[in-house]
Amino acid sequence: MSKRWLAAIPVVAALIFATTAIGSGTKAASSGTFRLGTANGIDSLNPYVAFNQDAYSAFEYIYPVLVQYDSHLHFAPFFAKSWHHSKDGKTWTFTTQSHAKWSDGKPLTAADAAWTINIDIKYQGGGAANEAGLISHIKSASAPNATTLVVHYKLAPNPAYVLGQFQQFYILPKHIWAQHLGRNGAGLKTFPNNAPVVGSGPFNLVKFQRNNIAIFQRNDSYWGVKPKIEEFGLQQFSDDDAMVTALQHNNLDAIEAVPATAMKTLRNGGFVVSDVPGLDQTDFIVNSNPKKKHHRELLNLKVKEAFDHAIDRKKIDSVTFLGAAQPANSIIPAPAGVGWHDPHLKTVSFDLKLANQILDKLGYKKGPGGIRVAKGQKMSYDVVAPTDVQSIPRTFQILQTDFKKIGVKLNEKALDSSAAFALMSGPNNTYQGFDLAMWDWTALIDPDFMLSVVTCAQYGGWSDSGYCNKQYDKMYAQQQVAKTVAQRKQIVWKMQAYLYKQRPYLWLANDDSVDAVSKNWVGFKNTAQGPFNEINIQSLTQVHQK
Amino acid sequence: MRGIDYVLKRVGFAIVTVFVAVTINFVLFRLAPGNAVSNLSRVPHATQQLRHALEVQFGLDKSKWQQYVIYLKQLSHGNLGVSYENEQPVSTNLRIALINTLPMVTLGTVFAIILGTFTGVLAAWRRGTKTEGASLSSALAFYAMPTQWLGLMLIILFAGIFPTGGMTNEFLLNPPFWTHMKDLASHMFLPALTLGLTLYGEYTLIVRSAMLETLGEDYILTARAKGLKPRTIVRKHALRNAMLPITTLIALSLGYIVAGAILIETVFSWPGIGRAVYEAVLERDYPMLQGAFLVLTLSVIFFNLVADLLYFKLDPRITE
Amino acid sequence: MSDVTFFVEAPTEGGKSRRGFVVRAIRHQPAAIAGLVFLVAMTITAILAPWIAPYPLHQQVGPVFGHPSWQHLLGLDDGGIDMVTLLIWGSRTSLVVGFAATFVSMVIGGTIGVVAGYFGGGTDNVLMRITDYFLVIPDVPLMIVVAAIWGPSLFHIIIVIGILLWTSTARVIRAQVKSVRERVYVKRARALGAGHTRIVLKHVLPQVAPLLIASTVLTVAVAIFDETALAFLGLGDPSRVSLGSIIESAFQRAAISTGAWWAIVPPGVLVTLLILACSLVGGAIEDALNPRLRVAHLSARMFRIRPLVGRGQDAV
Repeated sequence: MSKRWLAAIPVVAALIFATTAIGSGTKAASSGTFRLGTANGIDSLNPYVAFNQDAYSAFEYIYPVLVQYDSHLHFAPFFAKSWHHSKDGKTWTFTTQSHAKWSDGKPLTAADAAWTINIDIKYQGGGAANEAGLISHIKSASAPNATTLVVHYKLAPNPAYVLGQFQQFYILPKHIWAQHLGRNGAGLKTFPNNAPVVGSGPFNLVKFQRNNIAIFQRNDSYWGVKPKIEEFGLQQFSDDDAMVTALQHNNLDAIEAVPATAMKTLRNGGFVVSDVPGLDQTDFIVNSNPKKKHHRELLNLKVKEAFDHAIDRKKIDSVTFLGAAQPANSIIPAPAGVGWHDPHLKTVSFDLKLANQILDKLGYKKGPGGIRVAKGQKMSYDVVAPTDVQSIPRTFQILQTDFKKIGVKLNEKALDSSAAFALMSGPNNTYQGFDLAMWDWTALIDPDFMLSVVTCAQYGGWSDSGYCNKQYDKMYAQQQVAKTVAQRKQIVWKMQAYLYKQRPYLWLANDDSVDAVSKNWVGFKNTAQGPFNEINIQSLTQVHQK
Repeated sequence: MRGIDYVLKRVGFAIVTVFVAVTINFVLFRLAPGNAVSNLSRVPHATQQLRHALEVQFGLDKSKWQQYVIYLKQLSHGNLGVSYENEQPVSTNLRIALINTLPMVTLGTVFAIILGTFTGVLAAWRRGTKTEGASLSSALAFYAMPTQWLGLMLIILFAGIFPTGGMTNEFLLNPPFWTHMKDLASHMFLPALTLGLTLYGEYTLIVRSAMLETLGEDYILTARAKGLKPRTIVRKHALRNAMLPITTLIALSLGYIVAGAILIETVFSWPGIGRAVYEAVLERDYPMLQGAFLVLTLSVIFFNLVADLLYFKLDPRITE
Repeated sequence: MSDVTFFVEAPTEGGKSRRGFVVRAIRHQPAAIAGLVFLVAMTITAILAPWIAPYPLHQQVGPVFGHPSWQHLLGLDDGGIDMVTLLIWGSRTSLVVGFAATFVSMVIGGTIGVVAGYFGGGTDNVLMRITDYFLVIPDVPLMIVVAAIWGPSLFHIIIVIGILLWTSTARVIRAQVKSVRERVYVKRARALGAGHTRIVLKHVLPQVAPLLIASTVLTVAVAIFDETALAFLGLGDPSRVSLGSIIESAFQRAAISTGAWWAIVPPGVLVTLLILACSLVGGAIEDALNPRLRVAHLSARMFRIRPLVGRGQDAV
């Protein structure tokens, strides 16, 4: 249609009209500003509301935390200079930084820490529910003087557990938040905590616009290691393409998470692309509710074992994740800190013959259409597929094809995540609503959280598998109170081996954390949680121009 | 009097429609599974106590009818509820977003009007020639393109010349006024152009048909016989005739344009109301969605009313 | 609502049949012929998809975003799947949604339009008010709710789009039926005691048919457009490939920044051509119904821009 080119006329006219707009300062900002791009963003500046990873990473830089992880994922002092615990393990004492100030000039002391802990305990059933996991087992906290924090526990927790909890615990300024308690702490959640945020960290959050931008400026009265840059900004894009394009045209200096498809392009474009093992794992969930009514053959460990052998993890890694992933084999991913992952666990082999043998031995004969019949029911299942995980559709295709070869029919049932969870846990937290599902988990460095999601207590909470096992729950409680770190590790390994056989989850892939930085900058450190993370403040305090 | 009758009738109708829209909005979102409780109670050690507290907070412990009445009451105070995502009032979130959208949408409409008028006049004046065909074809072609795809095509073409995402360069700190304006304009150009290109086809057709109507009239023949220049004829007579349908069309479009901006703002990461809707869809932030769509629906109703009244005012031939 | 509509008459070209009208309308416009040919070709391709697609649909046949080559004329997408295969299957889904949703909306809209126009009075008022209220139902939240409650399946998308599109057809048909109802031969038939059904079927529908066909074709265009938009917002059926979902996955998987234009340009071009073809064909029929003014109504699209503007108002 050659006539269509005439349509170019109005376009050119518009171009001429807008000529004044071209070339207006979109190039590199001042040398002291680091521009970071993300496709996720900060959902809220209020720690009692925020859910997104970027929000927590932001808090890491603007709020004091007692301890952080060093480069080797060992605990290092932060707001707490040192610590020790009583002989019976129930009382922990932290010595905190002296002469520290909040960004509005008011003194930052151990009293703020104690206060935050105490209101979190008081309102854990209401406004402070988000933090309930971090103060479990704490009876109370006090600050006998400005640099001493004393925490009283109901039992004697494992030292690594205590520090792991406090590593994620953001201390808030009492003089700001005490005015916003509201009824039963409900006010804690509705306080917007707008920028400029009163905090105390290497940076102050001075500007925030939802879905758009967050600007952090260097805090010159900071009590710790001062950043090399003057400020950094976190810019949110609605999609990866826009973000990568912005990086390519020098409108950004780095991006947090590079889509697998753009890795090669960015490397070829001269950017430094870092690909390290990450903490995100995708899974195939088998409803393991022991009280399940339908398709009870799925409770049979042998059936789950057969399914496990029908999963081609290599193919999933290469097709869905384009090689930026490792096969997963445990609820605790390998990059979790300090050897929490049980190294003895081997990835389950992809062996269709073996899978068929196991199912044959169980007597589940193949019927019409090649679908096996188990106890009078066809082995044809709906697989709940939440739409918020992008990798699921491609992975499902692979699984569906391979499962067909072992006589099991899978039907994709896509639902958005809240509808999916409502179905899976329903009706009324009885976990009768589904047979199979796919989802993903983002683990933390400390294993406690991931281990908790398959406990009976998480019915209606984090449990998406309906798994409930008394023996497992016992081990879970034990690892929290193990006397030494080594002992805790033993229990954590035992738990993983136990779940390895119980298979509430068939683990698929552990995807990498991939970031990209312009070659003009050094010191921006990628970790299992990405470069902008809740692990420590190294990235943005160390990054600087070459 | 006939005129006032008509006006009252249309206004009354608009009000009733608003009420129906509000009700439909309420019902739609109560049907959706997953409410405040399931979204927000997924915290470690969630207890029944917490769930109940959340239910009370969002008013979900009351009967549907009671919830409806409360909803209406809140609406009359401009309270659109609280967003699940950031626990802030929906109206605040939307207000900020709307302010961001309006300049871009206005510029886009201006583009559409300019393009549409130009091509419409061209097509009518050069009736039956290739120029007319070309004008119409290009108008139709742009109209047929999926908006989000057209935006992506413009990104491919113009990346590097114009910024392809965001509203301003956020890293320009405290820029002087004109730098800021230039920055804003350069970011606004591509999304507004996308909007303009998608919209202008309709304007072309309307302008053209209005012009054709007029150009066939006797008094035009007279004007030409008198030796008046074509340009004068077009401007003085034909274009004036097109004012009625064009104005009505613009008014009608305005109501929908803001809604149509969803696709454009998503492609260009423009932090306006369209993007707020997109993010709310992703997060299933029902209060935000409910609020946004109420606002969009109301704007449609409002602009339709404006179009109605304009049409009545401008067209002397209405028989009622 | 304030949609102002044309009501037009199918000119009675002494002696020639109504049925031939549509054919004649198209025959005089080369663009419309091209459009019709294209539509037919796409429909045949879509039907024959399982046999003519060069590669299996979900099979990776090369590297991610592989370049176009002789074996893969339009390259590969982000999963290493052949683009030509994707486009063939994708247009199949898009056309299915387009036709099915249109069918739903035609049945609803046509029925309501005929009933309202024919019976007039109170029935007309009630039906028109209902139509107006349907106009204010916001599409995207309806789609979300449907997706959340019943799952985002193709069937539900078809129903949702169909429910949203019938209004313009209803209004146009109603206006036309109203004018036909006043014709002498209809009045005579009534005087002779013919029943309503007979009159509608024998006298009204044939007059209305060309307009209905035009409306149908134009609605298909909008339905296809809507499907593309819904897929882009992530509300499509994730287990199906449609032209909209191809654009969406290219967008999500950073096709542009990787320079893989072939993953994103062809699906959009196809959608554009489909919509263009429908618009040309439908427009040609409408033009023939009122040759002097040649105003094609670019009907509802993109979250309901509905500029049905012209002369005259809904006949009272």
